Amino acid sequence: MTGEPLAAAPARAPLGPAAPRPSLRDPDRFGEVFDAHFAEIHGYAAKRLGPDAASDVASQTFLEAFRRRDRYDPARAAVRTWLYGIATNLIAKHRRSEVRALRARARLGPGDAPGEGHADVVDARVSAQGLRGRLAGAIAALPAGERDVLLLVALADLSHEEVAAALGVPYGTVGSRLSRARKKVREALGGTNPMRDVEDDHG
Amino acid sequence: MDELRTVREAYGEPAPPTAREIAEARALWDGKPAVRRARFGWPFRAGLGVVAAGAAAAVAVALIGHGTPDGGPRTGAGGRGVLDLNEQAVLQAAAKAELVPTGKYWSSDHILGQSYVVRAKTGTYAITGALTESFSWAGARKGTGEGYADRDLPARPATPQDEAAWRRAGSPATLRVWSSDKWLTFPTKATKAARWRSDGPEAGEDARGGGDFLGESVEDLQKLPSDPAELAEMFLTPERLGKALRLQAGRQAGRPVEPPGGWAVPQIARVASLLHAPVPPKVRAGLIRALTAQPGIHAIGRVTDPLGRRGVALAADERAVKVTGEFGGPADQRGTYRSREVIVFDERTGALLARQNQLTVPGGPYAQMKPGFIIDYSAVRSAQWTDAKPKPPASLPFPVR
Repeated sequence: MTGEPLAAAPARAPLGPAAPRPSLRDPDRFGEVFDAHFAEIHGYAAKRLGPDAASDVASQTFLEAFRRRDRYDPARAAVRTWLYGIATNLIAKHRRSEVRALRARARLGPGDAPGEGHADVVDARVSAQGLRGRLAGAIAALPAGERDVLLLVALADLSHEEVAAALGVPYGTVGSRLSRARKKVREALGGTNPMRDVEDDHG
Repeated sequence: MDELRTVREAYGEPAPPTAREIAEARALWDGKPAVRRARFGWPFRAGLGVVAAGAAAAVAVALIGHGTPDGGPRTGAGGRGVLDLNEQAVLQAAAKAELVPTGKYWSSDHILGQSYVVRAKTGTYAITGALTESFSWAGARKGTGEGYADRDLPARPATPQDEAAWRRAGSPATLRVWSSDKWLTFPTKATKAARWRSDGPEAGEDARGGGDFLGESVEDLQKLPSDPAELAEMFLTPERLGKALRLQAGRQAGRPVEPPGGWAVPQIARVASLLHAPVPPKVRAGLIRALTAQPGIHAIGRVTDPLGRRGVALAADERAVKVTGEFGGPADQRGTYRSREVIVFDERTGALLARQNQLTVPGGPYAQMKPGFIIDYSAVRSAQWTDAKPKPPASLPFPVR
């Protein structure tokens, strides 16, 4: 189950970018990029920030991409990777609420219903999820750079090269951030001491 | 142990973006208006109460139970089956839903407001902020056009008593209030934002539009049944509500999970939404009757709506809302209050006047307010057929102070 809820152009996906260099200047062709990737970018943002902020982040991602489409360099990254880079920058502006929500989830035991607020009428997705307890606490406690790498790999299924291009960091940095993040998650999930309390994970 | 897979599975699959979200996101860059907006649906801030101000409040506001969980006794002395004067008043209003003269264009104008409490040294008072007015119109036939416009209205003291307290505080030109998880500042004088916006993500015109209300043509709306039981089956069952409210991700054993507070609140929102479209008078009456008959819906007699109009009302069971300090905010605004969702109809015409969330037991942020205080609302300023192409009204719905 990877994060492609409704990839609009699955047949083309293995070939990489939905639009080669010249086409991005043409609003009609940008429409193809939008159609091919909007749902996926929205899904990624929704996983990290919930549906309301996701709507905002996804629409801003494509507005930003549209404005900067002249500067998109297909030699450097696939369109999809480029979009994830823009989305990750926008998600960074919501870092505090992302971490706050993760910490709230960290306090949930295995059987608790998360967030009994009335907004759950709309945000019903939370009830289906297992992001809680130690795992949520560990992700909340990660430095932002490690969390971005971990989630781009785990949720967006980007390769190390793609993460490096999306975040504009060296390839080696991706590997080291990812291994640190994995180690912390593993420890939180009981890789070391299963008796450890949730609170230890995030202070 | 594969941590990546564990993380991936824990994050789950969110609901895909809605057609409306996609259209609005596209409208940001493609230069065409996102006219697939509310389609005359009731604006969604309706029915979500205080939480609607911010998703983060999902955790900040913990629902800790609701009154009369079994649907409770009907309002009035005898309960269900006995003549209930309040219920009779609503049913009579329903029967009076006059024959609405049809025209070439349907237009509707509604106002959304949210109350905030200002704790001034000279005394606490309430204001209505986050006030927006939205105007939508559509031609009865496809190709005759449709459009949306909205504007922000200045914040205003909620009642004359609040206005007096605001004046005692020196009639401040801006008001800073706590909203779920952040401070907001509202002007009390008309600003540039009080001009109608007719472009942008939620506004615009489409000359090719029209002929479509809630996804149905005017002709199809005529074909809706008028029988309350049939209408309830079509619109008010958990399955139908779950679909309308996009609860697909929260299903258990094939059924949508009951929202906190039960189905009455979404039922009120759904009926309000339908009544906002040009449905025929018989259907209008049928919908009001269907809502009146729902368990957990009570006739509560006459109330005043946020625009000062008297009407007859139905209400959902009251719910307790606990405001915690999860996201900071003033300590003196924390605590528990109880409120209920109310829908108000014009007694003479059966027309929908407003949906409002009203305080029943003061506490928390509303500790100093009285029962009946309106916490948030959507009010219909007008909803009508015309032959001339509709234009948003220039005048403000409230006198400028």
